[in-house]
Amino acid sequence: MMNEPDDIVISVKNLSLGYGERVILEKINFQVKRGEVFVILGESGCGKSTLMKTMIGLNPPQSGEVWIEGGDLVAAQSDERLRLLRKFGVMYQSGALFGSMTVLENVRLPLDEFTDLPEPLKELVALAKLKMVGLGSAVNKMPSELSGGMQKRAAIARAMVMDPGILFLDEPSAGLDPITSAGIDLLVSGLSHHLGITFVIVSHELASIYAIADRVIMVDCQSRGIIAQGKAADLRDAAADPWVHRFFNREADASHSIQPT
Amino acid sequence: METLPPTPQTEYEAEVKLGPDGLARVVLRGRLSARTVVDCWDTLERRLRGAGVKTLEVDVSGVDFCGGAGFALLRYLNMGRMTPGAAVSVVGLAEGFQRIFEGFTSQDYDAFHPQPQKRSHPLVEEAGHATGQLLGDLRDQMDFLGSVAANFPPSLISPKRMRWPEVRHVFELAGANAVPIVSLVSLLLGFIIAFESAQRLAEFGAQIYVANTITVVMVREMGPLMTAILLAGRSASAFAAEIGTMKVNEELNALETLGLSPVRFLVVPRLMAGVMVAPLLTCYSILMGVVGGALVMLGLGFSLRLILHQMASSVRLEDLAVGISKGVVFGIIVSGVGCWRGLQTEQGPSAVGLSTTRAVVTSLLLIIVADACFSTISYFLK
Repeated sequence: MMNEPDDIVISVKNLSLGYGERVILEKINFQVKRGEVFVILGESGCGKSTLMKTMIGLNPPQSGEVWIEGGDLVAAQSDERLRLLRKFGVMYQSGALFGSMTVLENVRLPLDEFTDLPEPLKELVALAKLKMVGLGSAVNKMPSELSGGMQKRAAIARAMVMDPGILFLDEPSAGLDPITSAGIDLLVSGLSHHLGITFVIVSHELASIYAIADRVIMVDCQSRGIIAQGKAADLRDAAADPWVHRFFNREADASHSIQPT
Repeated sequence: METLPPTPQTEYEAEVKLGPDGLARVVLRGRLSARTVVDCWDTLERRLRGAGVKTLEVDVSGVDFCGGAGFALLRYLNMGRMTPGAAVSVVGLAEGFQRIFEGFTSQDYDAFHPQPQKRSHPLVEEAGHATGQLLGDLRDQMDFLGSVAANFPPSLISPKRMRWPEVRHVFELAGANAVPIVSLVSLLLGFIIAFESAQRLAEFGAQIYVANTITVVMVREMGPLMTAILLAGRSASAFAAEIGTMKVNEELNALETLGLSPVRFLVVPRLMAGVMVAPLLTCYSILMGVVGGALVMLGLGFSLRLILHQMASSVRLEDLAVGISKGVVFGIIVSGVGCWRGLQTEQGPSAVGLSTTRAVVTSLLLIIVADACFSTISYFLK
């Protein structure tokens, strides 16, 4: 066990990651506080999702540690790893709902697998979570019958059905219309505010980030590290790095523009 | 930020008091998590169910932590499911917990609770559905054949229209890469046929005719058939999975909107490769089967010269033509069916798997039907 302050739930230490010999991010260090909405952002292909996959134990790092609720997920084996995996839930970019099961069956699957709860209680827990994400009336539908936003909501319900203290969301607003996207933002804010859930979100949807993020870090391809961190609005208004300033103010690279002849 | 009360590690306590006139009081303390709720449920079920409770008060003022399972238990009690007909009240919830508890009411349960669905259909409805599917399948098949007929000859005539690099690639995957498995299966098939026939023919002192048997069987029947079965398993499934995945990923829509016909772009090269590779593999399979049979005969003490003489005298050019023709037809069936089933792929996670299975099953069925047609025609043409 590591001695971290009580309000630190995730601590990433000297984390280097990549695929094979290729290094994507090097010597990353940051901490996530209990109950905050923490956003990882950066340009496409800079390793945001890979960083998240490493943090949730899907992608072994080249070196470094990921401490979650006092346990190092990188070094953890068998039972300890399973214990740490129970501490968080994950929503994948596509929702990753199981296509052969109804929405309700998807959400209650972890309860079926990991608890001895009586059947009526399992159903009640799953229904309550689905109501919480606004999908009460879609319990009997198959994932293919849901819109993209509904699939993501159902995936959030599945991720939180075991009452984890931390939720990882990969691109929750990607590909959604502004209204649905704002709905997901409201859901995240509500769950964070009322249930005290810690959110780690990978995103590059600026509108959503300004609306929900307590703190952001920005990772960069060139330096393979964190080039900015803090509150999103502060970085937008007063970032020292010109690249960060352009990113937060949606300023295009001049070389990408097509000049009329 | 508003947070819930801290979550101590203490376990739960459940105290049940049954009073006169159907009055009951349950006091819960500690931690109501998915683990503790299981025990708690057992205790309450044992004490409350059948106890004639008319009024139940559930006091949860001593609860430090309440997870989803805890709220479910409280709502279950509150709905009177454990004490049918009783008036149930839940008191003493902390403010944060109260809001979550009220977020899912018994009305919500009644509204969202999934009703058991009727899954069986009348026989007539099932039969009608199956017939409709069969007719739809036939119509699809005709569409596909028409489309291939419209695209294949022009691609043959104009080399620019044929995607030869794709043909070479498929030829390598379906043909060259299949050589090891075809070698092994055909060699062993030759062994098996030779040993089986040797036992029977020995009874008549005619073991030398093992050479004739193995040659005729391999050339006319088993060589083409085994090759086709292996191709159906390896290539028809691969074609269906590849094209099916492209359809799921909307790559076929992209082809259409680029003005490219998926049949010309994807099916014709695979059909061309299949037509070329199947007869070649058939010849190779025949050769390996005959080698397997010859090895058995050498083991039985016959000379190589005698074996080769018997083999050469038993097979006619006509037999070889039948074998190779079967190879061509089976090649068309395997690649055509694989592509057709791939194009039929629908949406959903199991769609590609379903197409792959259908491709193999349909290929095998049509191969056997075509083989039966060959046998019937060659019998009457004799």
